[in-house]
Amino acid sequence: MHTRSILALAALALVALPARAQLGNPGMTDPATAEARPGTPAPGETNPQDRLFLKLAAMGNLGEVEAGHLALTKSSNPRVQAFARQMTEDHSATREKLDRLARDRRLPAPTTPQPDQQAARQRLESLSGRAFDAAYLETQLVDHQKTVQLLEWEIGSGQDAAVQHLAKDTLPAVLEHLRQVQTLMAETTGAPPQGLATMPMGAGEGRR
Amino acid sequence: MYRPTLLVLSVVAFTTGAQADPLPPDATYRPLPTQPFSEVKRMDEQQKAEVMKRQAALLNERYDLSDRPQPGAMMSGGRKAVQGGARVKLGGGMSWDRLAGLSAEEIRDRDLLPQGFRPLPHVKQATGGQVFPQGQIDAIARLEQRDLRRFDVDLDLPDHLTPEFPPPIFLTTHPELGDVSRGQVLSLRNFYEIMNGIITPVQMEGLRLLLTPFPQEEFNQTEDRKVAEPSMGVACLDCHTNFHTNAAFHLTPDVRPQSARFRLDTTSLRGMFNQQIHGSKRSLRSVEDFTEFEQRTAYFNGDHVSATRKGVHLPDRPNQVAMMAQMQNIIDFPPAPKLDVTGRLIPEKATAQELAGERIFNGKGRCAECHTPPHFLDDRMHDLKLERFYKVGKTVNDQVALPDGPIKTFTLRGIKDSPPYLHDGRLPTLADTVEFFNLVLGLKLTQQEKDALVAYMLTL
Repeated sequence: MHTRSILALAALALVALPARAQLGNPGMTDPATAEARPGTPAPGETNPQDRLFLKLAAMGNLGEVEAGHLALTKSSNPRVQAFARQMTEDHSATREKLDRLARDRRLPAPTTPQPDQQAARQRLESLSGRAFDAAYLETQLVDHQKTVQLLEWEIGSGQDAAVQHLAKDTLPAVLEHLRQVQTLMAETTGAPPQGLATMPMGAGEGRR
Repeated sequence: MYRPTLLVLSVVAFTTGAQADPLPPDATYRPLPTQPFSEVKRMDEQQKAEVMKRQAALLNERYDLSDRPQPGAMMSGGRKAVQGGARVKLGGGMSWDRLAGLSAEEIRDRDLLPQGFRPLPHVKQATGGQVFPQGQIDAIARLEQRDLRRFDVDLDLPDHLTPEFPPPIFLTTHPELGDVSRGQVLSLRNFYEIMNGIITPVQMEGLRLLLTPFPQEEFNQTEDRKVAEPSMGVACLDCHTNFHTNAAFHLTPDVRPQSARFRLDTTSLRGMFNQQIHGSKRSLRSVEDFTEFEQRTAYFNGDHVSATRKGVHLPDRPNQVAMMAQMQNIIDFPPAPKLDVTGRLIPEKATAQELAGERIFNGKGRCAECHTPPHFLDDRMHDLKLERFYKVGKTVNDQVALPDGPIKTFTLRGIKDSPPYLHDGRLPTLADTVEFFNLVLGLKLTQQEKDALVAYMLTL
């Protein structure tokens, strides 16, 4: 009985989801959008913004995973290594979700990181020791700052509810990554913490 | 010693060159519509019921929206009762005292901050823009045959939780006259008749400009509008009705991207003459700067490119701006007969509860540290760091809840006339503001002290 009512509640939550779905500005939607019901895009209908988001986010995740692997081999700081391990895990998981959404929408899955990540990787390969850690954390700071803005942009500008939900669900985790980078930078440089590192978000925030 | 320095330098040099991959272009600039107007209007109209239902559900989840006036408390024009009681809903089993007894970390980690204390989203966050109350829409339609009704959204707040309409007008140049509004909404059609002989020619011209509609983001003559017919635009006093506020709102022009922008409740212009910084976030240093720049900020979301396309009004600084400012600078606060010239309660006129409230306001409540008498503001911006109490980054009705950073101190003179409260209007009543600051400042006020603070604020 108890299990059943929980299941019923869960089913209800799924049904209730569209009522709380994103309601965007139709002025900026793709003219070819099919509607599920009048005024509401059908599931899987994407804007140019959704498609650009899927591409940029997938490239970014790829770069994160690659940079994480590099840090695991090159860094000797256990805190940086632990962070890099988490990056490879979390971003691999997100990348799978992004790839699935792209596949369902018949969009090509990018196979290269973003250009700035590629440039950063070349630079990182030539470094070692503390210089590597500092440069790795710096690229992670920029990457996560940009990813936060990119996710917020998709939440406001997208049309495809499934893609927006992914952005919405991923944002707290990416903010938590950003907080970790800012904390690590403070620890490794001795400078006072900045941004989210000044407002601890609670253990395990964003990881579900 | 020498080598590591070189390495670090080379990292910095490379970094500068490699960070040239920007976010999408419309993350900052407003994109152009991709569809013809008729199609956008059709979709917006079809979505409207769902949009309003979603927002109503959010407000009902957060607040007790019932019509419960505070006994004996009327707004300054005597046209509307002040609403009483804390309206922000607490989670199951929680009390205000128990909540105030918990640490910020505990409230954050257990997600116990009342939803009503969190940022309030726009009715339609992804679109945003100015939303007017029905009273203003009706008055301007009647007086000027100008349409302020949007086809995609309506104001979300019930009428009894907004300021009285139309609000009275008090002038610093004529304290003896009291309210000079004649119970009317000032408009381009009636301002001369109402103000002739009361204000100077310079003030009259400023008033005319403040009442003249100019193109705006949602109200203009292009296909990128949210009003049925090509629109004459909006006037400054369409939100600041009679130089007060009608609870119209929009999104802050100062933040990007769209989902991160917070809602802005219209602020009253009463007491402008003593205000040194302007705009919740912009911190413009004179009302002249604000008046000049408002046409690109509130009117066009801080996007001068969009403004140029839709027909921006750029008032001439030495003439038009100065005159608009001079008109705004003669708007007085409503009378506060229980206050003396220094903004202190006159003991013979005040009740014991009001006097107790004043003591708490200046002492344990710490209100006067920012809301300093006699004008009850400090001309500073402060960061309450509310994000101590909730996990940032959660999306509610398409708005991402993020730290607001420093926000301007608003005056508390005449505050009973200006619901809802806080820069985004997230708090419906004065009792809510007391509970909010009791938590945020860790004051540990008793119920008696809270009631006394509300009683005191009603005298301001």
